Amino acid sequence: MIIDSQALTLRVAAIDRLSPDLAAVHLVAADGARLPPAAPGAHITLSLPLPVAARPLRNSYTLVAADPETGYRLVIRRAARSRGGSQFIHDRLAPGDLISATMPHNLFALHSQAKKHLLIGGGIGVTPLIAFLARLRATGARFELHQIAAPADLPVFAQLIDPRAGEPVHIHPGRAGFALEALLRAQPLGTHVYCCGPAGLMDAVEATAARLGWPASHVHREDFGAAGGEPFTLRLASDDRTIAVAADQTMLEALEAAGIDAPSLCRGGACGVCLMPVREGQPEHRDHYLGEDERREGRCVMPCVSRSRSPVLVLDI
Amino acid sequence: MTAATPSNRPHYHPLRPDSAARAHLLVTDRAALDPSALADGVSAEQFGEVWVVAGHVHTLPRPFGESGVQAFRSVSHLLTMLGHRLAAETMGLRLYAAGIEPFVWDVAGVARAAGMGREEIHLFAHGPALRRVSCVHCRTILPAVTTSVVACTGCGAMLGVRDHFSRVHNAWMGVQVDAEEPGDVPAAEELA
Repeated sequence: MIIDSQALTLRVAAIDRLSPDLAAVHLVAADGARLPPAAPGAHITLSLPLPVAARPLRNSYTLVAADPETGYRLVIRRAARSRGGSQFIHDRLAPGDLISATMPHNLFALHSQAKKHLLIGGGIGVTPLIAFLARLRATGARFELHQIAAPADLPVFAQLIDPRAGEPVHIHPGRAGFALEALLRAQPLGTHVYCCGPAGLMDAVEATAARLGWPASHVHREDFGAAGGEPFTLRLASDDRTIAVAADQTMLEALEAAGIDAPSLCRGGACGVCLMPVREGQPEHRDHYLGEDERREGRCVMPCVSRSRSPVLVLDI
Repeated sequence: MTAATPSNRPHYHPLRPDSAARAHLLVTDRAALDPSALADGVSAEQFGEVWVVAGHVHTLPRPFGESGVQAFRSVSHLLTMLGHRLAAETMGLRLYAAGIEPFVWDVAGVARAAGMGREEIHLFAHGPALRRVSCVHCRTILPAVTTSVVACTGCGAMLGVRDHFSRVHNAWMGVQVDAEEPGDVPAAEELA
């Protein structure tokens, strides 16, 4: 099990407004010490002291740059449908503020044996790709990058990715002009594809790659925040307490809001730290951790991303 | 044999086309694929493209990826062409190799160099129980060892053939058996 309780205290060094919806946040160690190093693709979870909430909101963000000396850099999009985390960062956070964060964790690492790295990003899913790109440029590895962005966002994405002459970097205005199947069909043996973006895009990459015979070990995805769904009710077997899970809230957030000390790490369905036993009800699994058999049995659930098909889900805690 | 050491002997399963693949290539070091290399109910035609080794063949090279049987004059000829073939290949191929153990792991080495991973390579070693042994003292390769103790042709050490196979070096490990007490060489047994 990968758990650590070590927390970092970070100071906001600068906030750059890249566009009305995008902000780059530069974080350094509050005590001026070196920060833990992090490989490209790593993320940290910030504890955001929302003024309205009793408990801090925990949100995971990818590190677009992580240098122990100069600090961590995040790029955060203001989410319209949000629990307030990104709005807090955009509207309230200011240089000099202190913020608590987890150590960096990496569940979306570059594969060292790959002959070629194919990077596909959708929207704010560009963040790990920026970190990948810096590493791939430095090592001279073979890569190709396709970023899909809303037409209005093209300039800001071009600024973030900063393509250099001759690089196979493509920024597409929307999905329409992006020929996914032809792209995957043309990749040489030994290619690894990394996709970060909306669930629909990542599902399409995964399904198309599988149909073209790509082995699953060559297909990597990173998704944070695919949270929403029908509201349902949690019941705790130990004390019969019921907890409502709202449509725009994850099961884990509902548990945390009810004051239950639920361990978690990636909050994206990948690490397995938050796994909970299920006594009754039918979970709707959305994680990438449980195997097919475990999903069918329905005896456990990952509350960070998964939901419930039945109106009530009874957790054995 | 020397004191038992943990075995990492490879286990082989008769070949069957991977239904998830976009294309298949089956290679063998024989003139024709041995039916025992295939799982029950599987025929060579199901793999599409089959490469064999047949001495003195006069077949003209054919386009890569074309289905049917293509013959090569030697194993080294086949392995060289396999390297070119894989360099021009796109994702979705599964490679299958049937033959003696040193051959199938040579194929695996070519595939690995081309970027293929474990899920994309399927091996079936069969034929005589010959082991390719590497002397850990002088790195001489003994190509076809049949006994548990053998004299190294490079440095003369009496090597015990351990049940340890290097998938990277494509060789079994040979370690001097009488290093502790010179001359105390156990009787050689036939390797299974």
